[in-house]
Amino acid sequence: MSDATAIPNAVLPSVSFRRRAAAVAAAITCLAASLAFMKANPLDFFRDFHYVANLVGEMLPPNLALLWRKKSILPSLGETISMAFLGTLGGAAVAMVLALAAARNTSPHPLVRGSVQTMLAAERCTPNLVILLVLLTAVGIGPFAATLSLLVGSIGMFGKLFANAIEQVDAGPVDAIAAGGASRLQVIRYAVLPQVAPSIVANIFFAFDVNLRAAVALGVFGGGGIGFELNVARSVLRYKDMLACLILVIVMITVMERVGDFFRRRLFRLEAVLE
Amino acid sequence: MTWADFRLERYGRIVKPGAVLLLLTVLALWRVDANVADLASGITKGVSIFRLFLPPAWSAFPSMIQPALVTVLLALTATPIGAACALAFGLAAARNVAPPWLRASARTAMAFERGLPEIVILLILVAAFGLGPFAGIIALVIGSVGMLGKLVGDAIEEIDPGTVDSVACVGATHAQMIRFVVLPEILPALLANMMFRFEVNIRASVLLGAVGAGGIGYELTLAMNQLEYGKATVAAFVSFVLVFVSERASNLIRSRVLAGDRLA
Amino acid sequence: MLRVTNLTKRLPDGTVLLDGITFTVRKGEFVGILGASGAGKSLTMRCIVGLTSASEGEVAFTGEQGKTYTTTTIKGADLRRARRNIGMIFQGSNLVKRLSVLENVMVGRLGRINPLRSWLYGFTDREAEEAMDALSRVDMARFAARPTGSLSGGEMQRVAIARAIFQRPLCYLADEPIASLDPKNSLAIMRLLQPLASEHPILGSFHQPAMTAEFCTRVLGLRNGTIVYDGSPKMSPSQLAAIYSQEPNDERPSEPQRRPKGPMIGGAVMAAGNPA
Repeated sequence: MSDATAIPNAVLPSVSFRRRAAAVAAAITCLAASLAFMKANPLDFFRDFHYVANLVGEMLPPNLALLWRKKSILPSLGETISMAFLGTLGGAAVAMVLALAAARNTSPHPLVRGSVQTMLAAERCTPNLVILLVLLTAVGIGPFAATLSLLVGSIGMFGKLFANAIEQVDAGPVDAIAAGGASRLQVIRYAVLPQVAPSIVANIFFAFDVNLRAAVALGVFGGGGIGFELNVARSVLRYKDMLACLILVIVMITVMERVGDFFRRRLFRLEAVLE
Repeated sequence: MTWADFRLERYGRIVKPGAVLLLLTVLALWRVDANVADLASGITKGVSIFRLFLPPAWSAFPSMIQPALVTVLLALTATPIGAACALAFGLAAARNVAPPWLRASARTAMAFERGLPEIVILLILVAAFGLGPFAGIIALVIGSVGMLGKLVGDAIEEIDPGTVDSVACVGATHAQMIRFVVLPEILPALLANMMFRFEVNIRASVLLGAVGAGGIGYELTLAMNQLEYGKATVAAFVSFVLVFVSERASNLIRSRVLAGDRLA
Repeated sequence: MLRVTNLTKRLPDGTVLLDGITFTVRKGEFVGILGASGAGKSLTMRCIVGLTSASEGEVAFTGEQGKTYTTTTIKGADLRRARRNIGMIFQGSNLVKRLSVLENVMVGRLGRINPLRSWLYGFTDREAEEAMDALSRVDMARFAARPTGSLSGGEMQRVAIARAIFQRPLCYLADEPIASLDPKNSLAIMRLLQPLASEHPILGSFHQPAMTAEFCTRVLGLRNGTIVYDGSPKMSPSQLAAIYSQEPNDERPSEPQRRPKGPMIGGAVMAAGNPA
């Protein structure tokens, strides 16, 4: 009853099953080997789970009295927010200049473009940890180092995004204004910037959210802010305090997300109204 | 509209937000103890610092290979495990698969997790399981689920309901519909996002290493604490290479997956 | 044989969308349902297969051995068992685009394959051979390994027919199978559907009277949820007008297109089975 048309191997069930089974087996073997190499036994997760239960027991109920008992907690929240705020804004400002040098249509010279692009790419590949450690050595422990670290990190993030946005600008207005005899800077000010402004503003808000989380993380390393407080609480085994800090982190991030959304929408509504 | 009106609008659009921004900036600078003197001294120190960090102590390079491997393996194992868990969470978070209460809880849990930096998750896990890669893997898995789970859930929700109806009409069970409709339709997106998450996990792995997960991050902070700056430079270089290679690999695989998918 | 008795669908606000639909389709018959948009063609189809639950009425289909299945008063595993026996073809073919053509055909028999086996192993070679036979019948065998998304609309509809054939159902249902196709492809599809009637009854909804006139053995005219015509596919203009003409008091809401709330996999909310 079977046909002259042979079933291609790609879809023959027995063949494809064998292929799939082999791939799955290989993947599982690699996974097991890696876990063995790192001496991480997945069964430990279940065996030691009571530690997690213990920890949770020690962490609850959270010591929210920390908020008013320890004077430095609320200011540390402000510190973290400020770190993210400055890092984002400063990074955006510097990145804007660099992006103009890195974009095909606004770069003064291909050599400049190439070197700026390489610099930005190198920065993006450098782990935040390295940047932070270098800065800690340079300006000492504290929120300032973390802020600068976020700033440098943001430059890398923004640089590429802004350069892409600039390159995608509609050439029409640019040519028109240039034809009117405007200088390079004026062309940028009046033709390029207005077109890229919306996407830049959107990116800035997004980066602020990212940097806020990063600020908390960097705080753990001595960067100050709520992350630092959290780590301190953990290292002295005051787990109830630690959970309180954790809750504050989540509340702060959620609130800042809403605040950011609010301002972003206001900004764009203003734009739309004035269009 | 007169020129006066235009200026007024411009005032509202640019000057007012600008002033607010300036105020906030000053406040923030005060909050972080920004110190121009510190920065200036730091910059001058920075030159001498570069002399500190260079030349890199290449002799220490061989001892960095094993930690580098640990860092890579941390991300390499955590990402697929995280993707598998994200599949489960994604199914729970999809409107067309899960009942509303399950969807709400799954999405809230994931949003909650996305609010926590991986470091914080690791700190908790270290307090429970102790230092080492084990806690690191779990932290990265949890982090991956937060991001990938949402993406998978969104992808599942976008599956054409007609296709689902059609397979339901042949009498397939829910499990079969997941295997033959949901999985094939979201697989390309899942793979692409998984590769992106791998990149993120490599960076996170370096960072987590410093907090006790082991690997190159640990070596880096150790060297800094011991003031062996040359060694620290080598560690930094190695981590840089790891991130760079992971980015290249991820881009390659992602473009392959998306190209293959475009034929479908 | 497919027998629909007194199929009625009422909306919560009292609007009657289907009113006492009753008809029978026997082996050898290719019955076409004609009607204006909103007359209830698709709704009837969906009620028969259980994607939408009916307020009243019964749908029963019987095979050679006399085993009868109904789709209107059952849920869950029973509904799935009943659906195995209906080969349904949709307007947009609704195939899984990222699966290969052959796999899409084999999906047709998922209702009869043990879920565990389908998850762990997949399909068997013998099933693949039979699926290739089904593809040959619709002249799509050479596309077996292609991803389905790369096919044109007409080609996908042929694969959908192959899937229905592979399913070995007791009857075929087609919900506006040629509505999105150009004339050439529409003819091809109708030519593929017609011979299937000699094996099992076919019920299809169409909006081209010319097509039904040429290919169907019988036509049902649907208007405002009731059958106003049941007879020869060759209709006179006055008979056509009876089905299609719009009178002022014919204003009615269109069939509810909103998705029922709740888990979709498994079909309609009220007829929804318990998750596997």
